[in-house]
Amino acid sequence: MTRYILKRILSGIFTIWVTTIAVTLLIHLVPGDPVQIMFAQSQSTTPEQIEQIRSQLGLDRPIYEQYFMYMGRILQGDFGTTIRGNQPVLELLLVRLPNTLALALSALLITMLVGVPIGFFAAYKRGTWLDTSLMTGAIIGISIPSFWLGLMLMYVFSIRLGWLPVSGTDFKNLILPAVTLGLANAAAVSRLTRSSMLDVLSQDYMRTARAKGLAETLVLSRHALRNGLINVVNMLGLQFTYMMGGAIVVENVFAWNGIGRLAIQSIFQRDYPTIQGFILIFATVVVVVSIVLDILYVWIDPRIKYS
Amino acid sequence: MPLLDVKHLQTRFYTGEGVVHAVNDVSFHVNDQETVGIVGESGSGKSMTMLSVMRLIPQPPGKITQGEVMFEGQDLLQLSLPAIRRLRGNRISMIFQDPMTSLNPVLTVEKQLTESIRVHMKLDKVAARDRAIELLEHVGIPAARDRIRNYPHQFSGGMRQRVMIAMGLACDPKLLIADEPTTALDVTIQAQIVELVKRLKEELNMAVIWITHDLSLLASLADRILVMYAGQIVESAPLDQLYANPRHPYTLGLLQSIPRLDEAQKAELKPVDGMPPDLMDYPQGCPFAARCPYVIDRCHTEDPTLEPVSDRPNHAVACWVKPNGAAVLETARAIAH
Ligand SMILES: Nc1ncnc2c1ncn2[C@@H]1O[C@H](COP(=O)(O)OP(=O)(O)OP(=O)(O)O)[C@@H](O)[C@H]1O
Ligand code: SF4
Ligand SMILES: [Mg+2]
Repeated sequence: MTRYILKRILSGIFTIWVTTIAVTLLIHLVPGDPVQIMFAQSQSTTPEQIEQIRSQLGLDRPIYEQYFMYMGRILQGDFGTTIRGNQPVLELLLVRLPNTLALALSALLITMLVGVPIGFFAAYKRGTWLDTSLMTGAIIGISIPSFWLGLMLMYVFSIRLGWLPVSGTDFKNLILPAVTLGLANAAAVSRLTRSSMLDVLSQDYMRTARAKGLAETLVLSRHALRNGLINVVNMLGLQFTYMMGGAIVVENVFAWNGIGRLAIQSIFQRDYPTIQGFILIFATVVVVVSIVLDILYVWIDPRIKYS
Repeated sequence: MPLLDVKHLQTRFYTGEGVVHAVNDVSFHVNDQETVGIVGESGSGKSMTMLSVMRLIPQPPGKITQGEVMFEGQDLLQLSLPAIRRLRGNRISMIFQDPMTSLNPVLTVEKQLTESIRVHMKLDKVAARDRAIELLEHVGIPAARDRIRNYPHQFSGGMRQRVMIAMGLACDPKLLIADEPTTALDVTIQAQIVELVKRLKEELNMAVIWITHDLSLLASLADRILVMYAGQIVESAPLDQLYANPRHPYTLGLLQSIPRLDEAQKAELKPVDGMPPDLMDYPQGCPFAARCPYVIDRCHTEDPTLEPVSDRPNHAVACWVKPNGAAVLETARAIAH
């Protein structure tokens, strides 16, 4: 087990390292001169200023040198400053990161609370009208784009009913984006749960449990659910990654002040240092949380824990 | 009065492709403390018969469509679900072929052993645990007090089957149904498990139904043998009688496929050429007719019922011809020498 965790951590570090390379190359992948592009919208910049920025970002040096410079700065916690306003990028991101994490984690919670029971009941009632209608609903759910679902929810609950604010930064404002993101993934999770539960329900140990004379509720809660939940925990890591990705879209729909919204703004402003910082922070969070969830999985599955 | 008396049991599976005739008019009994072996090739309905007795047929698609299963004076098929649950794992236990898949991989042996003890014997956690440790020691698991905390995958195949047997014995059943408990194990372990069940049976005064592919395995174990074919019992006889003078062509074929009965050789049951009938398209007449060397015209039109052989009240055969098995085996042995 320790070996597995160690391997997992090393591969995580590798992923982040690859990301740093990608981030350095990013500027050069966009056609045209990066500094020109960055300042294309502001007329007031003089050629001297542009040259100054260029050397400040190290863009006048060879790429490998740029990489080492960038890495050196990052390792000291210096992610650079924004192009306009000269704010430290890291601070800007870290201030908003909790908002994004709050959104992704509460959406994950909603996904699980909605998706897992639906999948469980569909599997238990397989082949009945209940199964068919739940799974048809799930297919429709999967095909609805989250920005559209977000706009609909906003229309109904904020504009028509006036129950929830359209946008803002307190806890109440988290509800709509979290529900949007959560529901968008609940459909997929319900299908995954269903197929995993179908597998569990057809296992020999279910028959053994019944042969012992246990009541059906006990057979389901102790023998089926326990095994089914292990599979559910197994998909938490992947689901969290989806939530983080989805958060970028949903944050913009609801003007939720997370790093996803900042990222889109930076892209519009061609603010390369912020975009780079965003990608690195995003990748790190995804990798770290996935590792934690994977370790959780290893820890709750005795087959892996004691092998 | 026999302990278990099954009459005209019939189980069907209603699938998309058609109706599977899995158990067809099966009648048999098991006496108190008797060991009855059930043999037959794969798909002959051995498991489905016993699962029907336990009311464990997956439903849907399965359904018990007919019959009576008398156990200790009540018809199990008429019992309510809570009532049948009170018997399962308590008065009647069943253990299964593959102890790896039949045990829950994410629960400790303790949890899986004590749950039926707690439900049926109404013991508290500590008492149930003590009983579970005692059971594990009884089935020959060393260091039971420590091992009880382990998960199934931490045991070897043979030890896992011992755990399974301990689970079956948890509440002192009157009847233990063992569905091919040794098929997944290698030969030496197999023999150990057979010895274990024999010993436990004597100690606990229970009856045993032992399902197997392997007729030779029953030689040291069974009092009586039932031979199943295509969801029917085609022959039923005391062990010696069945080995010495089988009267059904299928049984005869099974016995001829075993090289030496005294050696516990594992014989694959492919005694006669050909395949068993399609249970979704059940044939008219005797189900064995297509493979039978003794077939006569009548076999194709009329299905023989299980009837006592005239001079042997405990020996019943479902065959119009009832060939003299003793003579056939004699001749075969003479040729072999
Ligand atoms: N869920 C099911 N749906 C349809 N048919 C089934 C189902 N379960 C069992 N059957 C059929 O019932 C018949 C009897 O099966 P059973 O498991 O009792 O055979 P068996 O004698 O125990 O064989 P084996 O030695 O392989 O265990 C088989 O032909 C099988 O195809
Ligand atoms: S009834 Fe006929 S076909 Fe069937 S076993 Fe007897 S001889 Fe063979
Ligand atoms: Mg079977």
